[in-house]
Amino acid sequence: MFQISSLPSIRALAMVLRKSRSLSIQRSKLKPMDWKGQKLAEELMQILLLVFAVVGFVTGYVTGSFQMMVLVFAGGVVLTTLVTVPNWPFFNRNPLKWLDPIEAEKHPKPQPQPLNSKKKFSKK
Amino acid sequence: MHSFGYRANALLTFAVTILALMCAMASVSDNFNSPSPTSKVQVLNINWFQKQPNGNDEVSMTLNISADLQSLFTWNTKQVFVFLAAEYETPKNALNQISLWDGIIPSKEHAKFWIHTSNKYRFIDQGSNLRGKEFNLTLHWHVMPKTGKMFADKIVMSGYRLPQEYR
Repeated sequence: MFQISSLPSIRALAMVLRKSRSLSIQRSKLKPMDWKGQKLAEELMQILLLVFAVVGFVTGYVTGSFQMMVLVFAGGVVLTTLVTVPNWPFFNRNPLKWLDPIEAEKHPKPQPQPLNSKKKFSKK
Repeated sequence: MHSFGYRANALLTFAVTILALMCAMASVSDNFNSPSPTSKVQVLNINWFQKQPNGNDEVSMTLNISADLQSLFTWNTKQVFVFLAAEYETPKNALNQISLWDGIIPSKEHAKFWIHTSNKYRFIDQGSNLRGKEFNLTLHWHVMPKTGKMFADKIVMSGYRLPQEYR
């Protein structure tokens, strides 16, 4: 009895899981950063953290509260993480343009010389 | 900076480095504070004064301690430990320090206080030198900051002369 009744619920769970997996695949289609995006992300990270550090220190000193300084800085770290860590689209505004595979095949790479195999052969 | 993990790692290490720097600066900022604490202690009464069977003198007394230590507190102060010591000289020791009372002050609001108490810790001499002895009452304090090094200082207050006879 128990097994029979629990079967459909397992099936439903599997459906939900499959759906969520396809969702996460869609999400991860955010393209990785390009070169300029990486540079921008690093600079943005450093500047934001320094600005929040200065703001936090001044706020803490003026209000006479060490806790205030730590809270402001912690908030700044969270905000900076959200801005600079994920692959946001604005970090991918200068994507690299790769050649099509067909275009690449028209200019074949020079084949590497089979030096290694010869040496191995001579050793034996 | 090419992947999620590298960026998260770079951000975290940089953030922690900056936090350490901020703490160091907070510690440095303590040096701009020039405290001016005040304190007053009165010996109200000698409750009893006797020689123990083993030959050491012991005194019990009632004290009235008042102090204003608010200026010791800065934004980087965690708490202040304060103790009152009786200090005197004997032929055996150049300096005897006997803690009579101590307390922990957790915040600036509690830093201005007065207390009427008998000595919290026993006032026993190492020997039998207390009759007619004049001692100084010294208020010592240790400032414990949230970050950085501890500060210690003291106020030496006018002393008191113990009676010539046991009672």
